[in-house]
Amino acid sequence: MSLKLKALLKSPWVFHLSTGSCNNCDIETLDCLTPRFDIERFGMLLVGSIKHADVLLVSGSCNRMSVERLKILWEQVPRPCLVIGIGTCTGSRGLFRDSYNCPVPLDAIIPVDVYIPGCPPKPEAIIAGVVKLIQKVGGA
Amino acid sequence: MTRAEVLTDLQDRFGDEILNFSDKSQNRVYLEIDPRAIVRMGTYLFRTLGARFNIASGTDMCDFIEVLYHFIIEDLNLLLSIRVKLDRENPEIASLSREIEAFNWIERELMELLGITFTGHPEPKRLLLADNWPEDVYPLRQDYEEWDETADRTRGLNNG
Repeated sequence: MSLKLKALLKSPWVFHLSTGSCNNCDIETLDCLTPRFDIERFGMLLVGSIKHADVLLVSGSCNRMSVERLKILWEQVPRPCLVIGIGTCTGSRGLFRDSYNCPVPLDAIIPVDVYIPGCPPKPEAIIAGVVKLIQKVGGA
Repeated sequence: MTRAEVLTDLQDRFGDEILNFSDKSQNRVYLEIDPRAIVRMGTYLFRTLGARFNIASGTDMCDFIEVLYHFIIEDLNLLLSIRVKLDRENPEIASLSREIEAFNWIERELMELLGITFTGHPEPKRLLLADNWPEDVYPLRQDYEEWDETADRTRGLNNG
């Protein structure tokens, strides 16, 4: 494991991007930051700029307008970067599979490291998913 | 004005233009009107009766395209839905956005999603659809067909 990745996993800074989600996944993501779940105890921090991020957290079904923005962000993110797809929309697009505005799923646009299914996933599921991701790439 | 006075007033003023009047419930009334009267009707409801313009909604009904303009008179808790039926081949209606600013975006949305032409709209360009969306393809029409050959409609599994 590279030193960069090891340092990254000590305290992954997360950039949260909604690609046209219904906001439920976004609310659950914000729930993770509240004192009840408090993911900052794992060193995770929500950052305001993609240029500070180690983890790109995507929610929503990737509609035609937001895909362009997603590509721009993906070009700007410092490598290495891990991608988490939150919610059923990022996995299978859920009920938006046949929508005129959602032509391709998230993993056809950028490589995804972990999916957290659920509509919306519980904060516990989000924390469990992130922990699995850290274990997968070789962290503690 | 009371609820009954509002309804008789509308019938007196727009008697000829009101094609169908449906008193659905205590707080819901449907008025089908001649599309040519929409500007007069809308401005009268908004300016004189003090109704709030809630939203407009459009549906492709196969034989015609229906647009519902929802106005709420909050003092009476009365929702007036003004229904117009437009020709499906050439759906065209006068724009209200010069008179009432709130119509601007919803008319643009109806324009791109259903292909309705709002004559006299100050800014007749797209609101929500992507820039690479083809011209003359309206996603909420009943006869909409997939145009994007790169679109993937599977669940991401091998068996679809």
